Amino acid sequence: MIKNSYTLHVTRYTSKNKCTSRVTAVTLLTAYCLLLAVLCSCSPKKESLYRKTMILMDTVVTIHVVADSEEAADRAMAKAFEAIGKLDMLLNFFSDKSELALINRNAGVSGVRVSPETLEVIEKAVYASEQSGGAFDVTIGPESSLWNFVTRAKPDDKAVSEKLGLVNYRLIDLAKEKSVVALKKKGMLIDLGGIAKGYAADRAAEALKRHGIKSGLVAVAGDIKAFGLKQDGKPWRVGIRNPRQKGKDDEILATIELRDMAISTSGDYERFFIIDGERFHHILDPRTGYPARGCQSVSVMAKDGVSTDSFSTAVFVLGPEKGMELLKHLGFEGMIVDKEGKIHITPGIKDKIEFKRNS
Amino acid sequence: MSLKETVNGTTLGDRILFILLLIVSFIGIFFMKEVLPQPRDVTIEVEGKLTHRYPLDTDRRVEVGSPFGHLTLEIKDRKARVTGASCPNKLCELQGWISRGVIICLPGRITVTVGGSEEPKDRKVDAITG
Repeated sequence: MIKNSYTLHVTRYTSKNKCTSRVTAVTLLTAYCLLLAVLCSCSPKKESLYRKTMILMDTVVTIHVVADSEEAADRAMAKAFEAIGKLDMLLNFFSDKSELALINRNAGVSGVRVSPETLEVIEKAVYASEQSGGAFDVTIGPESSLWNFVTRAKPDDKAVSEKLGLVNYRLIDLAKEKSVVALKKKGMLIDLGGIAKGYAADRAAEALKRHGIKSGLVAVAGDIKAFGLKQDGKPWRVGIRNPRQKGKDDEILATIELRDMAISTSGDYERFFIIDGERFHHILDPRTGYPARGCQSVSVMAKDGVSTDSFSTAVFVLGPEKGMELLKHLGFEGMIVDKEGKIHITPGIKDKIEFKRNS
Repeated sequence: MSLKETVNGTTLGDRILFILLLIVSFIGIFFMKEVLPQPRDVTIEVEGKLTHRYPLDTDRRVEVGSPFGHLTLEIKDRKARVTGASCPNKLCELQGWISRGVIICLPGRITVTVGGSEEPKDRKVDAITG
């Protein structure tokens, strides 16, 4: 009797155990099947990030795109580089063959018929000059030509003051219907160095979009235009350089998220030399002909690169207070590092900007 | 219990489970390969086209030429530098040794990139302005 009861107990126990293990097995199988399904559905059409660098407009141009295949990415990037290459031919200050050189050679003589791109970029430059009250002046050429940051030559004061009369954007004659640009005074020079790279980033981004790219980033040196989201669904992330970095490696002061926006930075550390402790850099104040003194670095964010490029220069020249006012007036976002190294930001980017602790 | 007995003792469910586990493990290996950092290397591009790729942990000297100029690249102790360049201002030589980043020869249209796949994730940015 006792034995029987024991056997019965064992039997019952085993059957219950089998039942439990079966339930566990089925649960596990279902879990694995679900896991597999999730893994497979993660990449229904595998999108990857492609990157290419070219040297154009005397600087480094890097394009990133998200695309389904390398062929699609290559095709679109080739068109984007081509668009920049075309602008390089039209707008190069140093090439005799560019349309810009033709306009400058004919200063005070006659107007020059130009392509729609050249007309548009000069039009935008005049707009930036007007909006900034001449803090950005696209006719800075006679002054910028006096400086050489490779040979570290500081021009003499007499030369600087003599050329000041030639710096005045109001003396540009734009006949939009005829697509003709004229400079009214002999010796005037348009220098698109503070706007052409941003404009090129815009045009390259448009070329990418026209060739089926939904998400990409074009960086013409520090003038960056980004659109769409990356393949991981996140916005593009751009680092803002520390204007007083110590080492040789890129030191980042802050990072900012960018989606369907452009960013440009003007800094006194890009091209400069120091004489007797005084820093002479390439961002000249059109009103004095000498480097602007109020800031170390200015980053501006807006919808297009043509605006961020020109207005980062304008804000730099205006200095932190007036610069902030201009950004507010235009509805742009930005970050200013003033001459003491103090950081000022517009309220709109508080949540998008992240400062690095170690800088 | 021998192997044969063990196999005989399994149910169909056990076997399916075993095969599924194997498949999941292989998929795991494949995914890890994608996620884990690859060994770092030095890439050289001329006019945007990849011309050379070398591992960073092998010391060597390389001559790089383009229709616009040439330079000599030295890789040593997981660092790279340009030693001889045909351009007049030699900015690429002045940059010295770098362990991560880019050396650019503008006149020669040559770009040397020292791979940055070991970059910490929080510092990772797509581009730098300024």
